[in-house]
Amino acid sequence: MKFLDLLRLVFNNLSRRKARVALTAIGVVIGTSAVVILVSLAIGLQMNANEQLYGIGDLSLINVMPSYGGGGGGGMIYGGGGGGMTETGDTKLLTNNALQELRAIPNVVSVIPREYVSANVFVTYKKLQGYSNVYGVGTDDLANLGLKTQQGNSLLSRSSIVIGYMVAQNFMDPNQRPGQEPPPPPDLYDQQVQLVFAKYDDQGNEIRKNYSMRVVGVLAESGSEADYSIYLPLDLVKSVNEWASNTTINYNKVGYNEVLVRASDPDHTLEIRDQITAMGFQANTMLDFVQGINNFYSILQIVLGGVGAIALLVAAIGIANTMAMSILERTREIGLMKAVGATNRDVLSLFLGEAAGIGFIGGLGGAALGWLLGQILNVVAIIYLAQQAAAQGGVPPSVAVYTPIWLPVFVLAFSIFIGMLSGLYPALRAANMIPVLALKYE
Amino acid sequence: MNPNPSFIRIVGLQRRYEMGGTIVRALDGVDIDIAERTFTVVMGPSGSGKSSLLYLLGGLDRPTAGEIYVNGERLDQMDENALARFRRKTMGFIFQSFNLISSMTALENVAFPMQFSGTPAARRNERAKELLAQVGLADRAQHKPSELSGGQQQRVAVARALVNDPALVFADEPTGNLDTQSGVTIMQMLADLHKSGRTVLVVTHDPRMVRFATNKIFLLDGKAVSEAEYQAVALEPLQANFGG
Ligand SMILES: Nc1ncnc2c1ncn2[C@@H]1O[C@H](COP(=O)(O)OP(=O)(O)OP(=O)(O)O)[C@@H](O)[C@H]1O
Ligand SMILES: [Mg+2]
Repeated sequence: MKFLDLLRLVFNNLSRRKARVALTAIGVVIGTSAVVILVSLAIGLQMNANEQLYGIGDLSLINVMPSYGGGGGGGMIYGGGGGGMTETGDTKLLTNNALQELRAIPNVVSVIPREYVSANVFVTYKKLQGYSNVYGVGTDDLANLGLKTQQGNSLLSRSSIVIGYMVAQNFMDPNQRPGQEPPPPPDLYDQQVQLVFAKYDDQGNEIRKNYSMRVVGVLAESGSEADYSIYLPLDLVKSVNEWASNTTINYNKVGYNEVLVRASDPDHTLEIRDQITAMGFQANTMLDFVQGINNFYSILQIVLGGVGAIALLVAAIGIANTMAMSILERTREIGLMKAVGATNRDVLSLFLGEAAGIGFIGGLGGAALGWLLGQILNVVAIIYLAQQAAAQGGVPPSVAVYTPIWLPVFVLAFSIFIGMLSGLYPALRAANMIPVLALKYE
Repeated sequence: MNPNPSFIRIVGLQRRYEMGGTIVRALDGVDIDIAERTFTVVMGPSGSGKSSLLYLLGGLDRPTAGEIYVNGERLDQMDENALARFRRKTMGFIFQSFNLISSMTALENVAFPMQFSGTPAARRNERAKELLAQVGLADRAQHKPSELSGGQQQRVAVARALVNDPALVFADEPTGNLDTQSGVTIMQMLADLHKSGRTVLVVTHDPRMVRFATNKIFLLDGKAVSEAEYQAVALEPLQANFGG
């Protein structure tokens, strides 16, 4: 039998039973549109999350921390016995030599130590006080950390600091009376501020140390901790820490607490991270986090797609049922087809074709409906999320539900396949009927 | 070329049905030879196995035991595809109950079998029109079966049986559902098919059909019998129809 004749016969047979075909196809429409909408939602959420995540900071940055051996106590206990276990808990300090090793890794553009202040610290400006992270960094230009300024420059010196863009928001009046309006955030750019460090002596008396610094730059928003941080030169923080602990610090002996390694490109981040880990340091990157989030959304896609697939399964049972009924009703017709020379294959193709046809009609409708509803949902969700973003702060999303072109195409192909699969058993039964029994069937 | 005296050859043919433990012997060891270009009438009381025989010869059913040769080819051993090919090319079957497809017009019904032989649509149409004209229904081509009389429907079925120009034509009580006049028309058509060189086998209760016959087969309880034996039983119609 020619393929075109087969198609025409399938079409004629389906249009003979319009109402039943339509009802069965509606089941497929519901299933496929559910798959399209839910997967589009998962994809949209992922894109949305990525959009927000890409602001989270520099994906080419790797935080390296020293490794202090013996972390896993188990190794100590069993290590001596059999000797079969390798000791991985070697102490690896971030000395200047180690920093040279890190600089030697290919595609590393900068290796910069960063230290916390170990004393209490706050900033005063006029009558206001502010609390922020204070870091000492081993570079005189924050641009080397990939940070950009929105005002001024990013150069550090013994008398100049650079602050994150949210730092001014955390200033308040310590003498503010309850019920009083909080003061507006100060404009700190190019202003003189006091950095106040505090420690306690043996008697519990507070000892303070003041530095007067000029704010030479305000960083642009980066979505990372830099927004809430104040940057000082490393040697200033070192001397403050020595003062706070009454010792001298030799970084060649104790090593730095943290080093920031920057890759030339985010594509190299993970391979560099792996090399650093292999050297025995602890290394983390935001990229791991982003990939974790991406994995989460991939799973979400599968789960939501699976929910839709359940609806599709119900539709598949509907197709199987319709085909089984239609074959019962048309038993005599099948007998006749075979009596006038149709092969088993002709009969099989015809009924598989009809089942696939129902899948096709339903899949086409479902893909179109799913896409349309996705578009509508996208508009509604963006408006809602933008309101949320406006109320709570954050980036308003540009996408909430996204239907990539492959999705409806895939869903259409899949529902044709589902149609054929559900029609397979009834069609096989039809194909293998003995003509005379089929002809006598009442 | 002389007609083949054993165009159809049946050896020890059996067809049994198992029905809830009891075995029905529809055909119980039939041996017959049928020559080419003959008009054979199959007669016998109800339930004697006439239809069963015709279905087996038409390749619409498979025997329980025995051999069937058609033009030297062994039908009972053919695989499904070869059997489909036999039905498509070699034989045409006419049923008592017409078996037209109700959603198709007369023309489409006649053209239908040619789809399975891959004939192009234009050629199918042409041939179907030709055959409808031959059975006197040229003006009914676009009618659905429900819009045709019983006699007309059977004429459409005859046209359909001839569409692939088969050497063999089988008809199972083709006039059984028809009024006298329509029955005569169909009988005349079958006689014409015989005259045009085809081998025709007809199951019938109608004594008028016997006029056309060149050859008769008598069945009693699944066995082929001689005319004399058959007549003896036919004299006791009650026993034949309802007995054992
Ligand atoms: N599918 C079947 N299952 C069980 N028994 C069957 C089946 N088909 C036929 N039979 C039995 O086989 C026997 C022969 O049937 P068949 O139809 O060949 O008779 P027939 O000679 O054509 O009768 P009629 O003149 O009434 O059409 C009957 O006893 C019938 O009951
Ligand atoms: Mg019969």
